[in-house]
Amino acid sequence: MVLLIASAVGGIAFTRARQLRTGGRLHSLPVYHGIHAALWVVVPALLVLAAWSPMQTRLVDQAVLASPEGKALPDFEMQRDSILDEARQIAHHEIEAGFNPESTALAPRVAEAEGRYASIGGIAAILIALGAAGVLLLRKRDREFRARTSVERWMNGLLFGASLIAIFTTLGIVLSLLFESLRFFQLVPITDFLFGLSWSPQMAIRADQAGSSGAFGSIPLFWGTILIGAIIAMIVAIPLGLMSAIYLTQYASQRARAIIKPVLEILAGVPTVVYGYFAALTVAPWIREVGISLGIESASSESALAAGLVMGIMIIPFVSSMADDSIAAVPQAMSDGSLALGATKSETIRKVLLPAALPGVVGGVLLAVSRAIGETMIVVMAAGLAANLTANPFESVTTVTVQIVQLLTGDQEFDSAKTLAAFALGLVLFLITLVLNLIALTVVRRYREAYE
Amino acid sequence: MNSVAAEAAMTRWTGDAMQSRLRKRYRSERLFKLLGFAAVGISLAFLAFLLGTMLWKGAGGLSLGFLTMSDSTDPATAGVWGALKGSFLTIVVTMGLAFPVGVLSAIYLEEFATRNRWTDMIEVSINNLAAVPSIIFGLLGLAVFLNFMHLPRSAPLVGGLTLALMTMPVIVIAGRNAIQAVPPSIREAALGVGASKMQVVFHHVLPLALPGILTGTIIGMARALGETAPLLMIGMRAFIAVPPSGITDPSSVLPVQIFLWSDEVDRAFVEKTSAAIIVLLVFMLVMNGLAIYLRNRFEQRW
Repeated sequence: MVLLIASAVGGIAFTRARQLRTGGRLHSLPVYHGIHAALWVVVPALLVLAAWSPMQTRLVDQAVLASPEGKALPDFEMQRDSILDEARQIAHHEIEAGFNPESTALAPRVAEAEGRYASIGGIAAILIALGAAGVLLLRKRDREFRARTSVERWMNGLLFGASLIAIFTTLGIVLSLLFESLRFFQLVPITDFLFGLSWSPQMAIRADQAGSSGAFGSIPLFWGTILIGAIIAMIVAIPLGLMSAIYLTQYASQRARAIIKPVLEILAGVPTVVYGYFAALTVAPWIREVGISLGIESASSESALAAGLVMGIMIIPFVSSMADDSIAAVPQAMSDGSLALGATKSETIRKVLLPAALPGVVGGVLLAVSRAIGETMIVVMAAGLAANLTANPFESVTTVTVQIVQLLTGDQEFDSAKTLAAFALGLVLFLITLVLNLIALTVVRRYREAYE
Repeated sequence: MNSVAAEAAMTRWTGDAMQSRLRKRYRSERLFKLLGFAAVGISLAFLAFLLGTMLWKGAGGLSLGFLTMSDSTDPATAGVWGALKGSFLTIVVTMGLAFPVGVLSAIYLEEFATRNRWTDMIEVSINNLAAVPSIIFGLLGLAVFLNFMHLPRSAPLVGGLTLALMTMPVIVIAGRNAIQAVPPSIREAALGVGASKMQVVFHHVLPLALPGILTGTIIGMARALGETAPLLMIGMRAFIAVPPSGITDPSSVLPVQIFLWSDEVDRAFVEKTSAAIIVLLVFMLVMNGLAIYLRNRFEQRW
């Protein structure tokens, strides 16, 4: 309805501007006059509607509770809320019957109240739209009216609003993680969480149950994360990624490079769930056999090595393209000078190019580490659940991301220490990756500036 | 006198000492080149091995029925249609939100923003969001969309919202690069004939930058399509046998379906899982191929 009025007013403004144009030049094209009018009609009315809808829910609740059926409801707040919720769903025909018998009787009241308040809101919005339309149509426009400028001010606001969403997302992440973590630290002391050596997130329902004291020491989780993501994966990814970048930029022919590079990029595009399945199905049993044949009795079929190896392979294109960029940023004159002095190509690469490109490579490696420790599916599928504090890569370790998934995918209450612990882990993970990213970005930027 | 003669002997090209040193240097040169070649070879071999394994294990599971049936506890009647439909709905929501917002904020940051503390903050948070682990976005979705806004669990709507927040920074970064690549002469010419700043951007810069933006968007969408972890967080892991009919129905998506099947004990599900992976990889390849085609077809060098 509001939109209808808006388009009508916009159309009238457009034709009036067209008529004006026959009398001489306008400042703005007629279409801008139309858009200008439509915007002024539609935006305030929609804002009113948007502000009305949360108020409406509250008013409906009040009205329903004031009705005779509502007065009969139990006083206990959570029970009353759940009955109201069901009544709302019945009124919307989302469910046939509620769990609570009271809700069926309440449903017609909800529908009635909602209908009443929705029509109040709607009429208010229409009135506002009509009012704006009246003002716009009655005011006389001269040729010099700058409709384009006005429309563009709206557009500018829209653009700015869109770019603010990034900030809101960051804020949302920080606030939601922080909020739930604080609630967790009320249950479990923060020092126990950060420095505890044992992790077994079992909160007993009764105090006398066996194993009633859950342990939330996160050290084993972080050790497992570092072992898989920062040690094993990097041992695979750094040499392979760096050498591939060197080969592709320095040795390979133009044609080979044009083919091999996109194919390597496929490695980065394969979904992580595929890597995880591959690691669990093919790599892990193989690693276990190797471990046993080497005489390691404790070799697990969920070894840290299997997850780390596959993760390393996944990271290769990432390291390779970062190294590629930083090698390409080294000025040609430096390698030319080295070659002119009689150094061979490999000597030039090792003694001139790599030292010069080192900051960029280090920045790339830091970004790769941050990606590896935040990686979830490979470790969920291929690494274990037991929180072991071990340096043996054939044994099973668990990671932060595995535990977050484990804690949040069961069927428990949202407020239990288990689910809140997941948010605390997420907060620490977020902070670690944030610091790594910031360091890496600064290093890379400084390094780029050094050669520009 | 003696040392000079020794040095002369050392540096004579035809001398034995020089020749052996040269041989050593050339040997290490060849070794280094070989190492580089081996690194590329190992990576490519791994990729071939991975794809080969999936094809070998899953080719038998591909059939028309597999594509048209939905999830089931019986491997004989389990298919991916429900998951495909869920993935499609989720991606549509993601695209519908992330593309306009991403493009608009890229335009704002490149063309309109004056450098001040606000725009610096926006830039830092966009660059950082692009590197935040995906599971963190899942936690955000769980805390904000499910527990705070009470949107329906397991629905493509929530999945799409979460993935949109994740993909948006990728689109912004790609969009900014594409807009930067449009030469200033185009803007100056348009300004010169009386266009306003907004008209310059929307009539001239944006159409020229669009292929680049689309390439980045498709790559971001392919990533969102393969994403699993954040969707597990918002509850898209329930067993759902009926394909979703709207964006608020509970549904599964293809990567999560793969994850769920990989947990099944029944041996027959190994084939199903691999077949589902083939389907997923085909979609990814098509999307990436489309992106590369767009880049090659419309790329302009000024």
